[in-house]
Amino acid sequence: MMIGGGGRSSSSSTTAGGTWVSTTSVSASGKRIQREMSELNADPPSNCSAGPKGDNLYHWVATIIGPPGTPYQGGIFFLDITFPSDYPFKPPKVVFKTRIYHCNVDAAGNLSLDILKDSWSPALTITKVLTAIRSIFTNPDPYNPLISSISRLYLADKAKHNEIAAEWTLRFAK
Amino acid sequence: MAWKFGNDCPLWLRTLVIFKAIFLFIKSSKIKSPKYPADSIDRYRDITLVCHLSHFKVDGNSMDSSQTCLMEERQSPNAVDVIDSEEIPDYFVCCICLDLLYKPIVLHCGHISCFWCVHRSMSSRCESRCPICRNPYSHFAGICQMLHFLLLKLYPIAYKKREDQILEEEKRDGYFSPEFNGHACESQADGDLNQTKLVAGEEKVQVSDLLCTACKQLLFHPIVLNCGHVYCQTCIIIPADEMLRCQVCPCLHPKGFPKVCLTLDQFLGAKFPKEYASRRNAVHLKQVSSKHERATTCSMEAGKKNFSPVQLLPFSMQPSAYIHIGVGCDACGMSPIVGDRYKCKDCTEKIGFDLCGDCYNTRPKLPGRFNQRHTPEHKFELIKHNLSGRLRLMTEHLENGSTSFLIFDDASENLENGPLPRALFGDSQDNMEDEDDALSTD
Repeated sequence: MMIGGGGRSSSSSTTAGGTWVSTTSVSASGKRIQREMSELNADPPSNCSAGPKGDNLYHWVATIIGPPGTPYQGGIFFLDITFPSDYPFKPPKVVFKTRIYHCNVDAAGNLSLDILKDSWSPALTITKVLTAIRSIFTNPDPYNPLISSISRLYLADKAKHNEIAAEWTLRFAK
Repeated sequence: MAWKFGNDCPLWLRTLVIFKAIFLFIKSSKIKSPKYPADSIDRYRDITLVCHLSHFKVDGNSMDSSQTCLMEERQSPNAVDVIDSEEIPDYFVCCICLDLLYKPIVLHCGHISCFWCVHRSMSSRCESRCPICRNPYSHFAGICQMLHFLLLKLYPIAYKKREDQILEEEKRDGYFSPEFNGHACESQADGDLNQTKLVAGEEKVQVSDLLCTACKQLLFHPIVLNCGHVYCQTCIIIPADEMLRCQVCPCLHPKGFPKVCLTLDQFLGAKFPKEYASRRNAVHLKQVSSKHERATTCSMEAGKKNFSPVQLLPFSMQPSAYIHIGVGCDACGMSPIVGDRYKCKDCTEKIGFDLCGDCYNTRPKLPGRFNQRHTPEHKFELIKHNLSGRLRLMTEHLENGSTSFLIFDDASENLENGPLPRALFGDSQDNMEDEDDALSTD
């Protein structure tokens, strides 16, 4: 038997396994995304929302409101979510569209979040991903930074870091 | 909200309201998948804000007609779902496709998922991990037929719908999941199937649908083996220095002592509280009365530790093992196959039929995992490939610890299109099938 490997077999794209994954999953992934959408509408996580951008089910836009008690408080942060065709066997791509002063988000808006990379599991949903992103607002991870200068400042002088972050929130996210 | 008008409002207003409701319904049924027909950034900003408003539970009075239309649109498919299908509880929803479990597979850790969902989520080049608890497993387990027939009985309409839907996908792709009609070694399941057909109208689940394969009583702390057969936790006894073996089919259970399937256990407790309680008491009594029983549990533990390392850690402990990337054994389910691989030359199915070295030697009379029409007369060829040097290098890496193994795997995943994995895996896949030392046996 061939093992599909959820699209991981793409290195051998000429074999049957490779083509198989790409053909089946389009409708299967679409169905799953639709289910996630209705789940999200029924029970949205607090301070978060998400939905398709236009006609395309695979491109979503999400917003996270900066949680109170953090320097991001009150800011509205927009994110772009792109689902791969073999979702949920591959993680969605999430990019910040609003500038944010955060050690785990680089200037292009890319995130360093393990569950969006190696620790992805097909049992995770967008709701859980948004919750995880919301949690890095409250607890930045300075030990796995994308911008090391921010993480250094965060560790050395948290008050100064928070001040800059609040200023950026005011400038870009309000 | 139209009903608030009551009887005291004039007839023309009532008809107007009814007409508007019909109009909205038609409008909403026309627009199906694109829920938010917006494309520009400004529009989506508005829409997400609308979402926010509805999330923050702003009073419904301020809604205009377009918003109510959106709401109705959102509600109408749900309403249809409720009418023509049963309410599926969360614990019978697959964590991957978020739909009713179809042809369920219970993993070693006790978590359940659909046949195709498990198959697709498996890794083609290393140990796979449970999507829920990340517990590693190396064998593609068989479908739990008992659970399959239970779900069919509980939710006949929804299950049938799933079946049609999956069959359509299977026909399109040319890969098929196993069918249960007199093929497998499970004779009891066939009886169940006929029974379900006879009493299709009445969807009563009885204790007889949930019996232990060994003690023929209601399951208590159910454990599902790699072959898909279900036992009580207490009914499984591992002979000293041997592997856990299913009592019905000749299958060996590959890895340690499986965990209790908690979903099924909770269902049993809720569905048959009386019978379940009496089973619990019986088991407790048995354990207290005889210390001998405890001794067997100890040997069970011992057996767990004495499993052959080849089966326990196929990837890290065999220094000179070949890993057949993307190929699984159709008998025991080991995937990817580590060691010798025997490929059937006569099976014409797209998915192929392969056996690992152990299964080739024992030749269990089992059907393929994907409904292949394999017969004992078919001839096999032994497939080896000359990657041993590279893989040895890899396993040396592995012996340093499982983390480095993971890093290696992830690196190769990330670089899928890069030169390294292509040299290591991509081309090897084709090579090992076509040329190299393809030795004909039989």
